[in-house]
Amino acid sequence: MSPLLLNLNIAISLSLALLIAGCSSSTDKQSQIDYNVSSPQVSGGTLINAMTGEPSGLISMIAGESASSAISSNIFNSLLKYDKNLELEGDLVEHWDISADQKTITFKLKPNLKWADKKPLTSADVLFTWQAVTDEKNASPYASDFLLVKKAETPDAQTFRVSYEQAYAPALDSWAGLQILPKHLLEGKDLHTTAFARSPVGSNYYKLDSWNHGEHLKLSRNANSVLGPAQIDNLITRIIPDNSAQFLELMADNIDLMGLDPIKYSRIIPARPELQKKLALYKELGNSYTYMGFNLKHKPFDDVRVRRAINYAIDKQEIIDGVYLGLGINIASPYKPGTRWSNPALTPYPYDPAKARALLKEAGFTDTNNDGTLERDGKPFSFEIITNQNKEREKSAVLIQRRLKEVGIDVQIRAIEWASFISRFIKTGDFDVVVLGWGLGLDPDQYNIWHSSQQAPGQFNFIGYNNPKIDKLLEQGRLELNPDKRMEIYHQFSATLLEDSPIIYLSAGYGLTAIHKRVKGIDDPAPPAGIGHNSQDWYIPQSLRRNEISAH
Amino acid sequence: MFKYLIKRVLWMIPMLIGISLISFFIMHLAPGDITNNESAFNPKASEESRQKLREMYNLDKPIIVQYGLWLKRMVTLDFGKSFASHQKPVFWQTKDADGNITEGLIQQALPITLMINLLGLAITLSLAIPLGIIAAHKYQGWQDRSITLFNFIGFSIPGFWLSLLLMYWLGVVNNWFPISGMHSLNYDTLDTWGKVKDTFSHLFLPVVIPSITGLAGITLFVKNGMLDVLQQDYITTARAKGLGERKVVYTHALRNALLPLITIIGLSIPGLIGGSVIAETIFAIPGMGKLFYDAVLMRDFPVVMGILTIGSALTLIGNLLADVAYAWADPRVRRGVAKA
Repeated sequence: MSPLLLNLNIAISLSLALLIAGCSSSTDKQSQIDYNVSSPQVSGGTLINAMTGEPSGLISMIAGESASSAISSNIFNSLLKYDKNLELEGDLVEHWDISADQKTITFKLKPNLKWADKKPLTSADVLFTWQAVTDEKNASPYASDFLLVKKAETPDAQTFRVSYEQAYAPALDSWAGLQILPKHLLEGKDLHTTAFARSPVGSNYYKLDSWNHGEHLKLSRNANSVLGPAQIDNLITRIIPDNSAQFLELMADNIDLMGLDPIKYSRIIPARPELQKKLALYKELGNSYTYMGFNLKHKPFDDVRVRRAINYAIDKQEIIDGVYLGLGINIASPYKPGTRWSNPALTPYPYDPAKARALLKEAGFTDTNNDGTLERDGKPFSFEIITNQNKEREKSAVLIQRRLKEVGIDVQIRAIEWASFISRFIKTGDFDVVVLGWGLGLDPDQYNIWHSSQQAPGQFNFIGYNNPKIDKLLEQGRLELNPDKRMEIYHQFSATLLEDSPIIYLSAGYGLTAIHKRVKGIDDPAPPAGIGHNSQDWYIPQSLRRNEISAH
Repeated sequence: MFKYLIKRVLWMIPMLIGISLISFFIMHLAPGDITNNESAFNPKASEESRQKLREMYNLDKPIIVQYGLWLKRMVTLDFGKSFASHQKPVFWQTKDADGNITEGLIQQALPITLMINLLGLAITLSLAIPLGIIAAHKYQGWQDRSITLFNFIGFSIPGFWLSLLLMYWLGVVNNWFPISGMHSLNYDTLDTWGKVKDTFSHLFLPVVIPSITGLAGITLFVKNGMLDVLQQDYITTARAKGLGERKVVYTHALRNALLPLITIIGLSIPGLIGGSVIAETIFAIPGMGKLFYDAVLMRDFPVVMGILTIGSALTLIGNLLADVAYAWADPRVRRGVAKA
């Protein structure tokens, strides 16, 4: 969200909280309905959700933003997908084989696959999609994984085979991320301008019914989907840029689900019985974390003792409680806890200011002039934390500032608009310390973030991390397609990373969602893949549907 | 008058080029480009592909060359395509080889913004003028005091707060008006009368709330103008001649008191076209304010330049119309006695 709107949003959230506290009675006609009643699972009905931004187009390999893939994933399939435990399984493919040298993967498509226009979906479509994503003129932001494919071939209509120069373990994840496009509708078209991006034909449970610019997108069930029927007939996504307006729409029963911030989740909804009556709250661990990263090319952050000292000096639980109202957890590796890649043996650095002081002293920092700030070689230990204009990150920085002052480190904070932040500071390496977040894919490979070769301007190892042991593990991890062997490698990688502390993990926040109780069939508690993993099985009992919308 | 008009119109061409040149360079002073937006900070997206995008959009060329390319297109009134929004045309619709029409971003947003703001302006004026007159006429009376209090509140209340309060009260608690958006989800299935009703019910809150918050300023403006006129000698003369108070106020004073309003309306034209980011965001209206704001944050240069150019052109035209209207309304301007 943009900074101005974010500031506005905080003001709005507070006003809303006051407002709601002040208005106790509601003339909600639907308050009489008992949403907890168990009803038979019958297909039909309409689910309405909301998004803050409109997708630019629905060819996600070109569009590249999350709004696009959130919608297009209902319309298109990939070769593979993740199951509820985040293990890979076939989506369009029945099975896949990896050659003995791990360099060739053969995908066998499910029989009788069809596009929504009833044309057959074959390996030629898969080959076409691979060609499209790697075609230079399409300039797809996600081309790099697919450019590693040395040869792609289609021995028959059901088989698609790719060979790599050397084994490439993230390959399977990349094929789970590439939505397969129909060759018969897109051949010879410019993917950047084609009308297909606004009226797509896919193969998944839903197809696009209508798209009213700036207002809503309506998906309806794809009767030709061979993956089985979805339970809910229509999915409508409304474009409502402001979160508070979304919340008012949720209160008024005009949308069925939305993501919440911690205040709405833990303060506003629990305080209102009529909202509790109709809204179910869900909490799931996301795949992202907030961290504080050092510019390792700047002194004194090249000294591991200093980094560890700062790690001990920060009270992470205080950040989770203060900033996220307790709705987050402390982590010790860059992987989602509970998944196989997260090393269960690791524990986060505890809050231990005494140890921090001792480590700083060991690194040569003492308060020689008794002004409360440590010095080394006559220079005070002082640095600037920069972050983008994200309120949670700014608040986290303030808490860090206070804790570091207690051990004698002077910290300033600066929040910068996103595009300026990236191009002026991150790309140029002109910063001491950043507070940022990583949202990660489901594959454990983090070569782009941690490998020492990835430090050029615009690359993602912008903190300048250089550790030969980490480099080696990342290289090994990329060559190993056996999940168990890979797990060993990444457990070791996480342990080394934690010990070296190039970044300090601050918190992994929960994804918070409110869903109207008329929607049934949602897994609670959420499995590792999150509540949305089986959204095609969600249903709305006949008696709880909105009549005016499902009528047409 | 005709010569004056021609001169004014011709002057607009170098003015527009100047505005576009300054805008283009100021826009590029802000660090970053479209490839730095939030979705591009994705480890799966490589720097090489971002570089390719930059080349595709000519962002790798010097700024003066980029401006030259832009101006060359502009001469043929080609506003280009958005970088961000699936390369939709910035201004007007285009047709591809298959006959599919893609509507322009400004083409979609401008009518919505214009309609909302014109309705809002009409409501504001129709309330502000009588209130201003009453306040001036009953100066220091209870009517004036109540209107002053109302103005005070109107100035102080933040628009977004009032919006949320009314959205909650009228939309959630009482369910009288839709909360956000332009149309209901079942809009396409309604008959013509239903469509009209649906649109007006959706427009009610976004039109009325900015009108209430804008009312205070104009009421005060009318009141002060009126007070000023009521103290003029010719009003005293009119009263001395025994004209009725109603005639003095509504015939002799009003017309002169309202003249400066033409300037106000002229000045409000950029706002009418530019839209309001906050109101459009809260009410989920895909208007010009939101379009411009998003384009600036995403560094979607063709859209930013398109809106600035069209906005400047319309503003210049608006100012010209305001001047012409002033000359029409005030004979002194026509004769060159007073300046507009």
